[in-house]
Amino acid sequence: MLLAAAVVAIYAGLYNIAADVPHTQPVYWLLDTIRHRSVVTRARDIVVPNDLDDANRISKGAGQYAEMCSGCHLAPGMKRTEISQGLYPRAPELRRGTDLTPAEQFWIVKHGLKMTGMPAWGVTHDDELLWDVVAFVRNLPELTPDQYEALVKNAPKHEELMKDMEMGGDDNHTGKNGHE
Amino acid sequence: MRKPLRNISRVLLLVGFAGLPLTLAVGHEGHHVQCNGTTINAVKADIQAMGEGEARTTASSELQAAQEMMTKNDIEGCKSHIHSAMEATEK
Repeated sequence: MLLAAAVVAIYAGLYNIAADVPHTQPVYWLLDTIRHRSVVTRARDIVVPNDLDDANRISKGAGQYAEMCSGCHLAPGMKRTEISQGLYPRAPELRRGTDLTPAEQFWIVKHGLKMTGMPAWGVTHDDELLWDVVAFVRNLPELTPDQYEALVKNAPKHEELMKDMEMGGDDNHTGKNGHE
Repeated sequence: MRKPLRNISRVLLLVGFAGLPLTLAVGHEGHHVQCNGTTINAVKADIQAMGEGEARTTASSELQAAQEMMTKNDIEGCKSHIHSAMEATEK
C-alpha cells in the first residue's frame, strides 16, 4: 500500500525538485547521510601521499583551485558568486574548514557527487594534480585574502599543468605517491 | 577674508551631512533583503549547509521569526529578521 502510494506520488510529480526550494529536513538528512557514508566507505582504502604540506604542491593546487573551484566554493576575501548562491545543496565554503579527511576530499574531487553540481575532475585530471588541490584546500582556512591572492598569482598556470600532465608530468608527477 | 572661509566650511559641512544617508545606505547594501518565499528558501538552504553550532541556531530562529512576520504581513520586521539570519549564516 505504502509502495503503491510512493509510486503514484512519483509519477504524479508531487515532489518538487526545483533547486530554489530546499528539501524538507528529513529528506535533506537522508540524502546527506547517504552521500557522507558513501564517501567514507569508498575513501577508506585510499593511500594519502605524505607530502601534502609540500609548498610546491600547495602552490600548484592554488592555481587549480582558483580556476576550477573558487566559483562555487569561494575563497578568502571573495564575495558569494551567483552560482554559489543558486546551487543546491550549497557547495561548502572551503575557507571555513572541513571535517573530511584528505582521502575523502580526494575521492570527492576525483569522482564528483551526484545531484550536487560537483563534477568528477578525475575524468580530465590525473591523481597527482588532484592531490595538489587537496593539499591546497587543507591550507585554505589558514590563509588571509592577501595570502590567497599572492599564492594564486605565483602559482603555475592551469593550462601549463594540464599540458605537463598530457606530456607525462614532471618530477612530482611520477605517480609514486598514494593513489586509489 | 573670514566670511568666505566660514561659508566654505558651511557648504562642506552641508555636503558632508547630505552624503551621510547615501554612505549608510551603501554600507547596508551587502544584503539586498527582500521578504518573500524565494529569499526565505535561499536562507533555509544556507542553514541546511551549516554545521551544528550557535550560528546555526541563531540563523534558524531568526528565519522562523521572519516567517512569522511575513504571515502577519509585517514586511519590515520580516526583512530585519531575514537580515539577521543572513548575517548568522556568514559567521
